[in-house]
Amino acid sequence: MGVSATITMIFAAVLMLLIVLGFVTYAIYFERKVLGWMQLRIGPNRTGPFGLLQSVADVFKLLIKEDTIPSKADRALFILAPAIAFVPSFAVIATLPFGENLYFADLNVGLLYYGALSSISTMGIILGGWASNNKYSLLGGMRSAAQMISYEVPLILSMVGVILMSGSLNLRVIVEGQEGWFWQWNLFPQIIAFGVFIIAAISELNRTPFDLPEAESELVAGYHVEYSGFRFAFFMLAEYTYMFAVSALTTVLFLGGWHAPAPFLEFIPGFIWFVLKFAGCVFFLFWIRASMPRIRVDQLMGLAWKVLLPIALVNIFLTAFVKMLLQ
Amino acid sequence: MKGIAKGLGVTLRGLTTKKVTHNYPDEPLNMPDRFRGVQHFIPELCIVCNQCARICPTECITLTGKPNPDPEKRVKLIDTFDINFEICILCDLCTEVCPTEAIVMTNNFELATYSRDDLMKDKDWLSDNNTNIRSENSRNLSPAAAKGGAK
Amino acid sequence: MALRTEELLLNVGPQHPSTHGVFRIVVKLDGEVIREATPVMGYLHRGTEKLAEDLNYTQIIPYTDRMDYVSAMTNNYVLCHTVEKMMELEVPERAEYLRLIVMELQRIASHLVWWGTYLLDIGAMSPFLYAFRDREKIIELFNELCGARLTYFYMRVGGVKWDAPEGWLQKVKEFVPYMRSKLKEYDSLMSGNEIFLSRIKGVGAYDAETAIAYGLSGANLRCTGVKWDLRKDRPYGIYNKFDFDVPVGKNGDCYDRYLVRLAEIEQSLRIIEQALDDFPGNGPIMGKAPRVIRPPEGETYTAIESPRGEIGCYIVSRGKDKPFRLKFRRPSFVNLQILPKLLVGETMTNLITILGAIDIVVGEVDG
Repeated sequence: MGVSATITMIFAAVLMLLIVLGFVTYAIYFERKVLGWMQLRIGPNRTGPFGLLQSVADVFKLLIKEDTIPSKADRALFILAPAIAFVPSFAVIATLPFGENLYFADLNVGLLYYGALSSISTMGIILGGWASNNKYSLLGGMRSAAQMISYEVPLILSMVGVILMSGSLNLRVIVEGQEGWFWQWNLFPQIIAFGVFIIAAISELNRTPFDLPEAESELVAGYHVEYSGFRFAFFMLAEYTYMFAVSALTTVLFLGGWHAPAPFLEFIPGFIWFVLKFAGCVFFLFWIRASMPRIRVDQLMGLAWKVLLPIALVNIFLTAFVKMLLQ
Repeated sequence: MKGIAKGLGVTLRGLTTKKVTHNYPDEPLNMPDRFRGVQHFIPELCIVCNQCARICPTECITLTGKPNPDPEKRVKLIDTFDINFEICILCDLCTEVCPTEAIVMTNNFELATYSRDDLMKDKDWLSDNNTNIRSENSRNLSPAAAKGGAK
Repeated sequence: MALRTEELLLNVGPQHPSTHGVFRIVVKLDGEVIREATPVMGYLHRGTEKLAEDLNYTQIIPYTDRMDYVSAMTNNYVLCHTVEKMMELEVPERAEYLRLIVMELQRIASHLVWWGTYLLDIGAMSPFLYAFRDREKIIELFNELCGARLTYFYMRVGGVKWDAPEGWLQKVKEFVPYMRSKLKEYDSLMSGNEIFLSRIKGVGAYDAETAIAYGLSGANLRCTGVKWDLRKDRPYGIYNKFDFDVPVGKNGDCYDRYLVRLAEIEQSLRIIEQALDDFPGNGPIMGKAPRVIRPPEGETYTAIESPRGEIGCYIVSRGKDKPFRLKFRRPSFVNLQILPKLLVGETMTNLITILGAIDIVVGEVDG
């Protein structure tokens, strides 16, 4: 590959990183605003016009904090854990198609790449809990790891139905199979899988109602209790980048990617439709956070293994059966 | 699922409901007339009877009087009058018993200072604190004061 | 080879977002399960009862406001009522009605605080703000009436201090249907939520004999099915004139306590409506109380129904204007005694759920 191609690639990757960072900053701001509006109050509105600089102020505060590492902690792992949590979340964005010609890599196994890389973040969490040398953060880290690993299974299985329908693991092919009217999006034929996917995805993100690892009113603190300042910001960054990745994936898999709801609206660029659906997914995550209480840890595990897994399997069989019938 | 859906509906409707946030430092918060705020002291009306210092549940009022320079009048004059706002609970018993309404309450509540020493307010500060004075104060007005226009 | 396990000693420390104040529980954990829990109280002890020995009765009333700061009116009332009983003072009718309306409004406000903070502990963020928006309306009513938002100092021995200002009764009248519609909103927001129900059904259950043996009162007793409410069984003030139900539960778990408290708000609204309809015309608001309150020698105990349970005041008087001994039987303190028993065998998550359902206010626990 030539030098200019490499430079373009690096330049595009850095641009994407900046876009993701911008998204994270303003997702935090909008989350606080939307949560505030749903709770009958206005969110941040004093720092900067309309409070737009609130996240910037928060990140700045985190950056200038003292970098403490507990004395008995395992230094190398302690420093490595946030990086391991963050890097996969950013790396999966490489395969996501944002528009007809807006993608970084057109992998034939894009969905598999996504599933595989997102599991690596769990390692970051376990390492963070372990390296802190704190029994509570270890307990929290173990609980969080158990939650994330248990919900990986229904997540991937719910995607299998979509793969069966479109016949490929390539994310662009999956989107192209949803062309046409909005009832041809994968949402409607795969509604069961969509339900399982949403629940499993919210759990993977560690958001309410599955935010036991980060619960502020729980006693046993989460895996990031010993992290302060910049390293803590990294964990938060990983969480919001994942939100970006999961919302983009939902849009691609179930909501028709960059296609308009009706063929006569196709003159509006696909990218705009993608952004609109993506924003809808993110709003839904905020909405759920404002409304739900937290699930208890034993009920959490029961939900994954006893409810979501069988439903996802049933969905796969149904999809295969119907596909066979229609052939 | 139905319960969850109903809950989601309530929060969605909350998005469009009128917000209850008060724009406080930019817009002042107006308290009703009976609000028990920081006291206002009128030295000319005080007859140094010590009722306020005696009734105070937390003993935060300290006052001293000086003999009246005018030999005709027997009433003492107030010399120092301090209220310690670290312990004043704004219960308004002092205003209730004052026979001349020399001490009244205002509707001001902003007392924050940078140092605890500044919370010991003396006669001059209390005398200057004369905005938003409450309309009903004493329950113990002496007949002279009630007629003579303590208000 | 047997697995060696160790018990973990954990401090649900004095500073904790879910213990409703400075309250500490020392917990012995075996894995996730609690083997033993010991509450440690006293972090908010301010010596109210000792201070009362040196203050005359009117001066003690502001101190009672600050004991159970979430429901200050009932605290004021218990002290005034006890002294009035000792001195056999008659309280004028208008004052009785004002006292009743104010205490029932306070009950609603206290239950709203409980509802909001309990759901916040369970993880739902929004109900807290919805509850406080409605409580703000009650607080503003009180602000207009007596000049304070939290520590009212409204009642005096023999009556109340202030009469209702212009338009206040009309505002209370408008508040009643508003609150009813909000109760429906709370039901749709959280009471049917499946996640919430699975968190609190069956948690922290006890039966009626245990409840009576521990001396529980208020919603903690009524959730087991015992229909005991001091407003009906030992009526005080003018409660016997009004028609209201006493909601009871069945199983004695956290869910029943939740439902009982929400139902109590509805019953308080009924009482307020009836009192507003019957409200007497202009009259005195202060009875013929002497300038210096000197109850005769002797001792009395009187109890009333506060939002948390039975609050009682025991006064030993030696005929002076200051009490010889003043003791408050505080419901949060007594209700808390069942906590060690309820927590054995529960997980840490359920500790928060159970503690929240008992509804304690640490200012009252420590005094």
